[in-house]
Amino acid sequence: MSSTSPTAGTDSEPAVSVRDVTKSYGGRRAVDGVSLDVRRGEFFGLLGPNGAGKSTLVEIMEGLRQADSGEVAVFGESPWPRNTGLLPRMGVQTQSSAFFVRLTVHEHLRTVAALFGADRAAVDSTLEAVGLGDRHDVRVDSLSGGQRQRLAIASALVHGPELIFLDEPTAALDPAGRRDLWEVLRGLKARGRTIVYTTHHLDEAEALCDRVGILVSGRLVVTDEPQRLIGTFGSGSRLLVPLGRIDEERAAALPGVDSVSVQGGHLVLETRATGRVLAALDPLTGLDGVQTRTPSLEDVYLDITTRQTDAPLASNNQEQQA
Amino acid sequence: MSAYTALTGAGYRAQVRDKTTVFFTFAFPLIFLVVFGLVFRGRDVEESGFSYLSYTAAGVLSWGVANAAVFGIGFTLMQWRADDILRMIRMSPAPLASVIGSRYVLALGVGLVQSVLFVGVAMLPGFDLVPDSRWPLLFPVLVLGITTFLLLGVVIGSIADTPESVAAIANFLMLPMAFLSGSFFPLDAMPEWLQKISLVLPLRYLNDAVSAALVGRGDLSDIGVGCAGLVAFAVVFGVLAARLFRWTKTS
Repeated sequence: MSSTSPTAGTDSEPAVSVRDVTKSYGGRRAVDGVSLDVRRGEFFGLLGPNGAGKSTLVEIMEGLRQADSGEVAVFGESPWPRNTGLLPRMGVQTQSSAFFVRLTVHEHLRTVAALFGADRAAVDSTLEAVGLGDRHDVRVDSLSGGQRQRLAIASALVHGPELIFLDEPTAALDPAGRRDLWEVLRGLKARGRTIVYTTHHLDEAEALCDRVGILVSGRLVVTDEPQRLIGTFGSGSRLLVPLGRIDEERAAALPGVDSVSVQGGHLVLETRATGRVLAALDPLTGLDGVQTRTPSLEDVYLDITTRQTDAPLASNNQEQQA
Repeated sequence: MSAYTALTGAGYRAQVRDKTTVFFTFAFPLIFLVVFGLVFRGRDVEESGFSYLSYTAAGVLSWGVANAAVFGIGFTLMQWRADDILRMIRMSPAPLASVIGSRYVLALGVGLVQSVLFVGVAMLPGFDLVPDSRWPLLFPVLVLGITTFLLLGVVIGSIADTPESVAAIANFLMLPMAFLSGSFFPLDAMPEWLQKISLVLPLRYLNDAVSAALVGRGDLSDIGVGCAGLVAFAVVFGVLAARLFRWTKTS
């Protein structure tokens, strides 16, 4: 299997296809007219503030909830109502509490494997993959937070699903554990698996995802590759020049500089043409101590989500209805 | 390994590893047996020709089996939903029949062990219970009783979202029912209007059928009426359970 970009993948139907899906609770629209394709072999990140409708949207894709309107297809089939033909092809990360009480790690995963009709050998290899290979005989009740999370992820992977839904899989992990899990996820992607996951770690989404979608108040605001989002929505780079090298007026007059401000011990030059500004700066001040800050996915995310929340679109005002 | 085998195994391990619950599930009815045995030692219920003990033995056994069925599934169902285990099962292709089947077999197992232990102790010298020749009919009667009260437990486990509320609802239903259905005190010794009230309680039918089968108080028709009553309640509870069942906390 190739691990190249998803656009080079098959031309066949997408793994998940969501068409104009809406879901309301009471008068509130949790998901509001979302359309989305997740391609086969793609690593798709669903981002958004708490309460934006991520879980509801994912649960509709999983077939756990029925959309009020719109269409959902997973591998070309409807996941709702409970589609037992489709379920073995999907893996859903459970809550870190979803363990059979008083069982050991190995017994729990064996039980989960049996629910999916997976063989026993898969239990050992899955525990090994998530770093619980030496915890077979520990009771699930006495696992640490990070270990519980690993076991929850193992529960989603043990039957070798083609499409994997992960809900903040690295939330309870320490930095080393996070990096280990990244390798597990990259390995799954390299084997051609499709992954849909939600996270609040924007650096992680930037590092792992082929594409991300940002959900705000139930609406999918943008969907794109992280780097292209940064290119499109990023407010440009910032050059930090130590104070005293150049005064504000002259800096503002440099070609390519959009704005100038003083922050901390630096003069901050905002620009979309980093190269030109650096070239102009070099003969004037030299480049020693000059730092370059490029926008991250986090900057773009915060920019987009605050803008959307402050000025909600007209059709978002459904909440006012009785 | 099939889903049914795996779930039954997981449920069995969870059960036997919880020593406290195991102890009280089986000791509770025995404690009542001993208490009533001491209190009513050698006395007969007036004009019936049956000892108090033979009355209460059947009643306490019915109540103990029913209680274990209600509480067992009630707690498990609530806990499985709260922990999202139900959600996981829902997202697996495991047939619902294997989930229900595994819990049913576990409940029947508990009821069987309870009954054997209880009747065994009641036959010891001092209690002197003599089982009637119809005692094999106890099996179908208890299977029906466990089915009925298991379904009541599903109803309770579907309504309640915390262990406290499972205990509250189940106790609220089971304790008064035990007294009103004649599990602890012979119904014959109670006022007539109270005997009438007991007719709308499922435990009354289990009591009657168990005491007819175990100690021979009543005949085959009493067992038949008892079973018919249990089937009727099972249907009612089954319909309720199907309507109230929830896979997840939020749906």
